[in-house]
Amino acid sequence: MNFFERIQALDRRWIYIVVALAIVIPLMIPYNSDNVTTPPTENLYQMIDSFAGREDRAILLSFYHDASTMPELFPMEIAILRHCFERNVKVFTLTWLPSGAPVIDFAINSVKEEYPNIVSGVDYCNFGYIPGTLAMPTVIGMGDNIAATVKTDAEGRKIESLPIMKGINNYSEMNLAVEFSGSVAGSYWIVYARPKFGLNVAVGVTAVMAADQYPYLQSGQFIGMLAGLKGAAEYEKLVDVFGAYREPDSPITVQTDEDGNKIVPGRPFSRELLQDESTKELINITTQNIATFSPADYEAFTAKYPEKKAVFDAIKTMDNGKVKIDVTQVSKAQQDEMGPLAWKDLNRMTRNILYKFKVARIGMNAQSVAHIMIIVFIILGNIGYFISKSRQAKK
Amino acid sequence: MKKTVPLLIVMIGGLIWVFWAFSPHKIIQDDFYNQFYLPWARAMAPFAALLGVISLSMMHSAKIRRKAPKWQYSFFFFAGFVVTTLAGFIGGTQKGGLFMWMFENMQMPMSSTMFSLLAFYMASAAYKAFRARSLEATVLLVAAIVVMLAQVPLGVKISRHLPDISQWILDVPNLASKRGIALGVGLGSVATTLKILLGIERSYLGGGD
Repeated sequence: MNFFERIQALDRRWIYIVVALAIVIPLMIPYNSDNVTTPPTENLYQMIDSFAGREDRAILLSFYHDASTMPELFPMEIAILRHCFERNVKVFTLTWLPSGAPVIDFAINSVKEEYPNIVSGVDYCNFGYIPGTLAMPTVIGMGDNIAATVKTDAEGRKIESLPIMKGINNYSEMNLAVEFSGSVAGSYWIVYARPKFGLNVAVGVTAVMAADQYPYLQSGQFIGMLAGLKGAAEYEKLVDVFGAYREPDSPITVQTDEDGNKIVPGRPFSRELLQDESTKELINITTQNIATFSPADYEAFTAKYPEKKAVFDAIKTMDNGKVKIDVTQVSKAQQDEMGPLAWKDLNRMTRNILYKFKVARIGMNAQSVAHIMIIVFIILGNIGYFISKSRQAKK
Repeated sequence: MKKTVPLLIVMIGGLIWVFWAFSPHKIIQDDFYNQFYLPWARAMAPFAALLGVISLSMMHSAKIRRKAPKWQYSFFFFAGFVVTTLAGFIGGTQKGGLFMWMFENMQMPMSSTMFSLLAFYMASAAYKAFRARSLEATVLLVAAIVVMLAQVPLGVKISRHLPDISQWILDVPNLASKRGIALGVGLGSVATTLKILLGIERSYLGGGD
């Protein structure tokens, strides 16, 4: 039996072992890679971003899935919630499945941990579980009046009395619904809400379901789509490059204008910026410990903390005309001297991304290896097939 | 009579919803939909959930009673159902309680594991069965390899044109076939619905006619 005949008869358990290793090793040892963003993801990002800081605009996230499809869908939900919390976009959430309710809580809690200023009922509102049998009347009813249709939120509070409802009545204001699903996504919204009320609809789906959604995407019924883990990875990247980006002189605390309105941090979407080399340092998924500044940026950064300037000067190093601070080299005493706010700000300048905000990109590394491995399997299987076929023909 | 009454119920019920979709009249939009249908729909939803719980409990208790194959697993249903319900009612469903702990540490990893098994079967099936046996199979195989490569960062490193080619495959040949299927399914459902509303299609009544 030669090599190709042997691999033709390979026991499937060997394949399983190779698949497991191909997935587990890249998950354990992340490496930096770039996920090129696609128009369906960019369109959704831009639509949500256009609501930034507006009191009369909100988005609705429909969690139409349970825990089984979370590895693909959860990173999308986290990325969109993070985008909204970074850029002051009002968010409503609901689910048609009883098993979707804890997914919403888990998603909101996971993101909210990093945003202590985000308040339930003010910045976001969870409608909770609405039985699937009420999906059609709920979708239609919200087109006329949200507070009259969904009377209370998941915490039992009257919707109409919540501060988040200021300026929000129906789909004219809550003008985008994004449904996450592992099977049929967005059907209620494009059948009932889009034709009747002009609601913008987008979906986040598992990779195997993405091909089914393309007709709706091309016809414009869906304004955007996140397809599988790749869609989530693209969205994570966009949030890092634009929504969560801070200039060295940007204050870390929430800023308000004279009228008490929150000033929107981050920066708007730009395709040119996305292709710029400078964005590469914002999307590294390996652990980043060094904050790098140009001399002017360093001055701008330390100007926010004039009384701490001496501490920063003591820990900085110069390298190729750049000012660098390694946060792992900062002692506890220096951290205390710096104060929690300046310390947090310095850490932010390292551009280190928290695990929960880069999980899709780490997953994409594993998917890269798994895809290459499957392609190799297909090619090897076909070579073996043709060799054995030609031998049979010779005989 | 046994067939006429159910047929009439289906026809009248179906026609009401046709009128609701196309007529803006107060009787159908307000009196029927807002005043009659909505309160009833809201009242029915909890009963549907209750029916599900009762039905599932009866099925599993019957399985245990009859010692049907794999009857031992039914105890896991009752254990999971009782513990989750009590955890939710007593400790609440928010972070910090037993319910959320079970969701994060039991349901989420177990459900995700079941879903991730798909990767193993796909790899094995790709290796064992994905063969270029004919021209059509070869086209499918090449398209699959291009789309798979374009989906991942490594593929983009091989060629920057791969995402464009992949997008074309998804936007043109894939879309043409998907749209064809969708149109067929749509027209088929309209035809079947009309046949049911007009009483031509009666197989749903059972027994054949």
